[in-house]
Amino acid sequence: MKKFLTVLLVGCILFTACDRKQKQSENGVVTITFWHSFVASTILALEDLISQFEKEHPGIKINAQYVPTGDALIQKLITAIQSKTAPDISWIHSDFLADLVDADAIYEMAHFINGENGLSQEELSDIYPALMQYASLRKKIYSIPMEATNLALIYNKDLLRKAGYDAERPPQTWEELKEYALTLSEDYNHDGNYDQIGFFVPVYPASGPLSGWMMWQWVPYLWQAGGYIVNEAQTKVLYNSEAGVQALTLWKEIYNSLNLSSFTVDYDVAFASQRVAMSMDGPWNLPRFNKIMKNIDWAFAPLPEGPKKRATVVGGEYLVIFKQSPHPDESWAFIKWIIRPDVQARWAMKSGYLPVRQSVKSIPEFARYLEENPNFKVFVDQMEVAQAQRPLDNFGLQITRHIAEAIEAATLGGMDPQEALNRSAQKSNKLLKSVQNNK
Amino acid sequence: MYIFMNQKDYLKQQHRKNFITGILFLTPTLVIFSMFILFPVLFSFFLSFHKWNMFSSSQSFIGFANYQRLLTDPEFWQVLKQTIMYTLGTVPLNMVIALFLAMMLNKKIKGKSFLRTAFFTPVIISPVAAALIWRWIYDPNFGLLNYATGLFGIPPVNWLNDSRAAMAALIIMGVWKTLGINMVLFSAGLQGIPDTYYEAAEMDGAGRWSKFWNITLPMLTPTTFFIMIMSMISSFQVFDIVYVLTSGGPMGSTKVMVFYMYEYAFKFFEMGYASAVAYIFFAMLAILTLLQVKYMRTRSGYEGI
Amino acid sequence: MANNNVKLQKLTKSILMHGVIYLLAFITIAPFIWMILTSLKDISDIFVYPPKWFPDKIQWNNYARAFQAAPFGRYYLNSIFVAVTVTLGQLITCSMAAYAFARLKFWGRDVLFYIFLGTMMIPYQVTMIPSFMVLHWLGWIDSYQAMIVPGLASAFGTFLLRQFFLTIPKELEEAAYIDGCSKFRVLWQIILPLSKPALATLAIFTFMGTFNDFIWALIVVNSEHLRTVQLGLAVFRDRYITDWDLLMAGSVMATLPILIVFFFAQKYFIKGITLSGIKG
Repeated sequence: MKKFLTVLLVGCILFTACDRKQKQSENGVVTITFWHSFVASTILALEDLISQFEKEHPGIKINAQYVPTGDALIQKLITAIQSKTAPDISWIHSDFLADLVDADAIYEMAHFINGENGLSQEELSDIYPALMQYASLRKKIYSIPMEATNLALIYNKDLLRKAGYDAERPPQTWEELKEYALTLSEDYNHDGNYDQIGFFVPVYPASGPLSGWMMWQWVPYLWQAGGYIVNEAQTKVLYNSEAGVQALTLWKEIYNSLNLSSFTVDYDVAFASQRVAMSMDGPWNLPRFNKIMKNIDWAFAPLPEGPKKRATVVGGEYLVIFKQSPHPDESWAFIKWIIRPDVQARWAMKSGYLPVRQSVKSIPEFARYLEENPNFKVFVDQMEVAQAQRPLDNFGLQITRHIAEAIEAATLGGMDPQEALNRSAQKSNKLLKSVQNNK
Repeated sequence: MYIFMNQKDYLKQQHRKNFITGILFLTPTLVIFSMFILFPVLFSFFLSFHKWNMFSSSQSFIGFANYQRLLTDPEFWQVLKQTIMYTLGTVPLNMVIALFLAMMLNKKIKGKSFLRTAFFTPVIISPVAAALIWRWIYDPNFGLLNYATGLFGIPPVNWLNDSRAAMAALIIMGVWKTLGINMVLFSAGLQGIPDTYYEAAEMDGAGRWSKFWNITLPMLTPTTFFIMIMSMISSFQVFDIVYVLTSGGPMGSTKVMVFYMYEYAFKFFEMGYASAVAYIFFAMLAILTLLQVKYMRTRSGYEGI
Repeated sequence: MANNNVKLQKLTKSILMHGVIYLLAFITIAPFIWMILTSLKDISDIFVYPPKWFPDKIQWNNYARAFQAAPFGRYYLNSIFVAVTVTLGQLITCSMAAYAFARLKFWGRDVLFYIFLGTMMIPYQVTMIPSFMVLHWLGWIDSYQAMIVPGLASAFGTFLLRQFFLTIPKELEEAAYIDGCSKFRVLWQIILPLSKPALATLAIFTFMGTFNDFIWALIVVNSEHLRTVQLGLAVFRDRYITDWDLLMAGSVMATLPILIVFFFAQKYFIKGITLSGIKG
């Protein structure tokens, strides 16, 4: 026993002695720490991006550190800022942009845009306006999008053909969506439950991690009906309007007619097993789907058109520069470089994400890539009708939660859509009023 | 050793020695405890009277506002009720099954090591992996559970999407996940009961039930007290499995106290409010514990409490 | 004749007992078996609905791929080093403190003990940010100390051992004191050897808790060379995307050390004392 302990002790000492710390800054070369949450499959593209940047900028090195996304990212940022060990640049989500701004932790981008190495008005407006909306708060720009995403329809061509539909013509309107959803649903073993679902309506617990994902997928339908989440002055919410009721009713009707509450929630697993004919998704899954769904004839298509117009929702990853950074200008150099059209083209083609600048489409290499990758082209084309959720200056998170609760209540909970939306709107308006009262 | 002082002085000396030794024995724990456990706990109390979004370096004092808000929030009371339901559902069941298993494994059973390890595996699996597996078990169409109950003619239950069934589903998974802990603790406690007590009782003609009631249970009191307090605290504080299995749904019907608190801390960035929730909760747990201590003292009068 | 009947009864009871226990054990362990089977599946076998139990083709290279996705060798060393150190440390500090609470009478003992208990009632989610601040003030962020030192004291461990020490008959210690033993010797040579089951239990829980910890390691560690296995596994799990095959393989690998520790710690679950050693 004693011998074992001594060996252990010696081992521990040796172990910690061999612990070498990485050098942070060497002579003349500035190292920028960049926190991201790119998963294993995208990291290769990221490394390519970084090495290209370092080649063009010999004085700057990028130290990319992976941070798990979601809550973990939030907790790490909190502790990093408090201990003054914040990175130079980090991914953020618009969820907590407001709190970062309130804590005065990040730079206002105008500082750099209007500075020496800034962006011209043309360059700025070349970025899809919807993305810049997401990147701003209270009319000021606080972050820059690194890449974009939006939402499209994914459907199984074989199942469409089997049901007698034209596989090249997925549903174009809400009515067709409802019709296709019902026709494409099958109850093979006649036990009263559908074993194959025509359209997956993404309903998740409002208090869960997928609540935002559910909301993100519903909001385009609100817009397609001509609705908005909140009014211009941000004094009242508008999601319980006629448009909101229409959008929520569409979801409710499909959800109920397909009895989706007794179906699994892993839509991608179900789709890959040919038990879901149509669903919705973003471009980030393209590389993965290309690998695992080789035996299915599937394709992406634009979202169907609503009563008032076509619309989809944008997302993407946004970069901020922390005020604690000792190298803000070099950090800005990296960000400015990332949104250069040719860099965006190369990054998009390697990673599967969408470029943030409109002029990228005119780059010949990229145009060719689009022709060869029709699924990717669907997403790029949809950027024309893509909108952003108008960032809420106050209580954005709570209002998002209220909408999610309404969606869950109307579908899973069987509540009347108008009633569910009104109940949530009441809560949201109360919060917005408290902002007015404090002014 | 000759004692060369009178008894009173000797006792005083012993008392002082005891005190010094006590402090010495406690020092390592106390130092670390004060820095990393006590201080954060007290700081959280301090925070409960402030508003702090955690990204900023300063907090603003708001007095009792957090406490007022939570006591008037209907969701707080609903969450409290659900947490109590979860605790009432898991703790008694857990303790009874764990004691049963521990006693079984104390007897002549073949393959004790394998069995103990088998019952302990749920404790070791990460909540994420466990929740994925249980989501499949609870699947309304193809899940194992509905398949098994179907064999007995019971119609399928929509475990995770029905508000009432979801709490039951959570309780079942909760008991499964923590059973092994209590089994191990009871096993350790059972080892401390000398065989000679049982042998003596047998010679007096005591039956199995009498032995259990008059020897096992009383001798287990310190262990049982420990297990009951710890089980109660940990089931009141359940978080991981709720987060990954039901995420508080459907429609908030399985939202428990720590989940509510966590949301306010890391989703809405209101650490002050979350701290206030933690302290109201602490007050309730403390009162419950004191009641349990009183109850156990009057029942067995055992010093082990 | 009657003898045979009794024997038969006993046999039947024994078979029944074994049957029930083994059935329960298999039900309990089924999810774990599922996890292992899934870790050996090809991703196309996982992406099926209804889910299936056995892989079509066993994919041992899931483990190889998981291991290569991040420097898991280093992560493993880190996890084990931290877990072992914390476990040994806690065994020492908690037994000393538990002995003080169980046997030594000093002013404020019970109040202090209840404060200990009280701190366990505050969920760690609110105390972890202030704990982090303490680490920051000590300058220990991103170091081994950050992962080890806070874990060296434990209200849980102290409570557990104190309860167990209370069950040991005082006569043994009193005999030792009369013989002139110091308190420390009594603890080391009498109490601890008799507490093997409790110590083994605490060792298991501490090792497991430390090895499985994710949140604390997440916030106090930034550098790659300090990361633990749990941090490493996070790379397989995005908000929307999960590499199930690699995640399961990684999770099985993360579970093995704990199972091994548990298996070996079990042999300490032996009976502590026989009263006959005291009388006479």
